Amino acid sequence: MGGVDVGSGGGGGKRPTNSEINMVPFIDLLMVTISFLLITAVWTHMARINADAQVPGPPREVEPDQVEPEKQLHVEMRSPDKFTLIWKQAGTVISTVDVPRKDNVIMKEGRKTVRYPELAAKIEQEWKTVGSHRDPSDKKFDQAVLHTDNETPYVYLIGVIDAIYQPHRPYNAGGKTEMVPAFNVTFAVN
Amino acid sequence: MTIHKPGRRLMHNVPLRFVQKKVSGHGHREINASLSLTSMIDFLVVVVVFLLITFSASGETTIPKGVRLPDAENTLDMIDAPIVAIAGSDILVDGARAGNTRAIEESKRLQRIDELFNVLKGKRELWKQLYPGKEFPGVVILQIDQDVPAIVVKSVFQTAAFAGYPNVSFMVGMIPKTNKAGGE
Repeated sequence: MGGVDVGSGGGGGKRPTNSEINMVPFIDLLMVTISFLLITAVWTHMARINADAQVPGPPREVEPDQVEPEKQLHVEMRSPDKFTLIWKQAGTVISTVDVPRKDNVIMKEGRKTVRYPELAAKIEQEWKTVGSHRDPSDKKFDQAVLHTDNETPYVYLIGVIDAIYQPHRPYNAGGKTEMVPAFNVTFAVN
Repeated sequence: MTIHKPGRRLMHNVPLRFVQKKVSGHGHREINASLSLTSMIDFLVVVVVFLLITFSASGETTIPKGVRLPDAENTLDMIDAPIVAIAGSDILVDGARAGNTRAIEESKRLQRIDELFNVLKGKRELWKQLYPGKEFPGVVILQIDQDVPAIVVKSVFQTAAFAGYPNVSFMVGMIPKTNKAGGE
């Protein structure tokens, strides 16, 4: 049996200073606790993908100042064969690039994952060439607008948003530089 | 001098046979192995402490039955925010029903979902009463099944934005990054 030795005492009391712990129930308790915690543990971790809505929200108390329109990357995914990347500034098209569409669909336990590595690589290349907000001290981010038809399943939208978030840039926050996605994504309503 | 066969010589002349067997390498292993109780209890305690630290009493975010979330690579950590789930044609806000998507699926037109709008607006006003003076984060998390059509996603997205939640996040499963994020 194990015991806990707390010194020899010497007070002359009746009770013994050293007490013994019964090891068998103690180990049983530890084993049961471990089993319980392992069974109740959640092994799948959820995450999120962010998107900004560019729709008029509730009225603000202070109206923001008028600012010059910035370049936006419009990602067209209406065609089944290709993606079209269009850089626009205030309605004016700056450049257009087509990327062949290859839906890499991965099925796993009934769950579908769609990946577009070629699109991600092209978006990264485009951002490095045309993107406006690349400096680590720049607090703003380049905006990407996703255009899709009404029938496209959600999993394909996530695949494209994931590809848009592939390019990362350094960002200074509180004296610390961290890598963050280069784009903010929003949906086009039409 | 005689020539001896090569082999072990140490302790060879001990007269006891079981000692000779042991030292010459022919002895059997003990059937009962002793276990250091102190090390075992130390190990168990460390495991218990680790599991207790990582244990979440409230559990992870529950996903309604029938909702299969897609996976993504470039994700952010989950945050505490109202969760809008689309389970079948029902819309749930934090588990409570808040409209359905049938009208959108039938009309195939982008439209505001009034019931969802009212529930989200109510939650926003409640938050402002609970935390007066604080800036409302305006974050909502959407739990959407992988096969839901884009028109429903856009309608829910827009309704949330109109209700004062411009930061819309999509809940996804996390997959490990394939390559290191590049920058400049």
